[in-house]
Amino acid sequence: MARTGRAGRTGRTGPADGDLAIRLDGAGRRYGLRRPWVLREVTLGVRAATLTRVEGANGTGKSTLLRLLARIDAPSEGRVTGRPRTAYVPERFPPSLPFTAVGYLTHMGRVHGLTGAAAARRAHAWLERLGAAGHAHTPLPDLSKGTSQKVAVAQALLADPELLVLDEAWTGLDAAARDILDRAVAERVAAGSAVAFVDHDPHRLAGYADVTYAISGTRVTRRTGEADAAPRATGRTVVVEVRGPHGAELPPGLPGTAGPGPEPDTHRLVVADLHSDLVLRELLTASPPWHVMSVRPGEAGDR
Amino acid sequence: MMAALVRYRTALLLRSQRWLAPVILYAVFLAVGVQGGQPVLDSLAYAAAALLPVTAWLVRICVTVEPAGARGCTAAAAGPRRAHLAGLLTAFLAAGALGAAATVAVAVISDAASTDHQTAVARGPAAVAGLLAMLVSALVGTAVGALTSRPVLRSTAHAVPALLLAALLALVTTGSPAKAALTDLTRGSRDGVVPLPVGAPAAALAVAVAAVAAACWVSARRA
Repeated sequence: MARTGRAGRTGRTGPADGDLAIRLDGAGRRYGLRRPWVLREVTLGVRAATLTRVEGANGTGKSTLLRLLARIDAPSEGRVTGRPRTAYVPERFPPSLPFTAVGYLTHMGRVHGLTGAAAARRAHAWLERLGAAGHAHTPLPDLSKGTSQKVAVAQALLADPELLVLDEAWTGLDAAARDILDRAVAERVAAGSAVAFVDHDPHRLAGYADVTYAISGTRVTRRTGEADAAPRATGRTVVVEVRGPHGAELPPGLPGTAGPGPEPDTHRLVVADLHSDLVLRELLTASPPWHVMSVRPGEAGDR
Repeated sequence: MMAALVRYRTALLLRSQRWLAPVILYAVFLAVGVQGGQPVLDSLAYAAAALLPVTAWLVRICVTVEPAGARGCTAAAAGPRRAHLAGLLTAFLAAGALGAAATVAVAVISDAASTDHQTAVARGPAAVAGLLAMLVSALVGTAVGALTSRPVLRSTAHAVPALLLAALLALVTTGSPAKAALTDLTRGSRDGVVPLPVGAPAAALAVAVAAVAAACWVSARRA
């Protein structure tokens, strides 16, 4: 299947390759002066418009690394640079807040810089998309674990963050909401945000991660292009053929690979299944809109 | 962003209903110690003294009321220092509102006279002096609360005794701005002169700013 990394994006005006959202330089973290180091000498950068996966066994410091990237914790040694607008989904979201779902989301939207009205509107929209619209006015302590996780996810997505940090955010979500979150991640990356995530499911977004880091001991090592390039059951692609206005270029920043189509003024796009909705919406809402000639599942030879 | 954070923390404080205990305690304290017809400056000194531990308690509530997971979300969005500052500011503002209400009530029901009831003390200036003393207590109480709750002291077993002891010491130790403000009021009451000190509020502000800055600095380092 076509790897939908940066090289595969069609845009020329998309975010520059050197666009670092956040960078750690020799960063280390321990929870107290007499406590052991959890991480040491971590030097890595997370680029805009990329998806970063962090792997490691339980208790190796995945959450610690994500908290450094989200700038929730400052490193005990070394430096962190970059101040993107950040949103974070914690591993466990507490239901003990004295708000309704929409009430809490509206407060968080304001903290993220939205007006109260925009925050409330987006809160409703995200709860609806995640399948929790019926619980908008339920007090958080009365929500099921899965629904309160949806609130945690909505909290992070409602303000279009430049850096999205997901610590096992899929855990507890139902299948439909997990799928929505996968797509939302793809949308954020396509929109130019950096996304960093940890998930216990090795197939989670497999093949879409631009960079994978593994933690062993207190070290973080980069291991790109192994697990994430391997084909897997969920890595389906979709081939989309479109006809554009005469001489028109494809909109910049689309995920996937693009090539000339069978006729003049047509293009053939091979995109990850995950990105297909996004690409179609982007093309159909362009002005003037593109004509979608065909959409079919990709085969092994489609690049 | 700070306004949004303070609004969120205020809603959290009010809806959690954890403010009830310190506010009721303060009301009981005033009901026991302040009666109509007592010298106004003496009563204001008593009310201002009681506000200090109540403020420290409100700070403790404000910085512990948000569960850890939600704290992470707020810290990512606003930065951990700013998020912590918003909690401290919310407690200070709540204490300020409580102190202002108490000042008005005390100034209205008390006798506008010196301790020996011989010299008249104007109610208006006395209330202003009371507000200044309340401000000093709220500032010093915020400093005490900030330094004796998370993230500086994380274990409740250490934090609560430390908070009570520090609040008591702030009220009785010579050199403490809170003690100075209270002494000014009681001396003014004895002499029949309304004190309008500048030194104590300035010192209290400096103490509060330093303590709050230290607590916010720690908040990113000790989760």
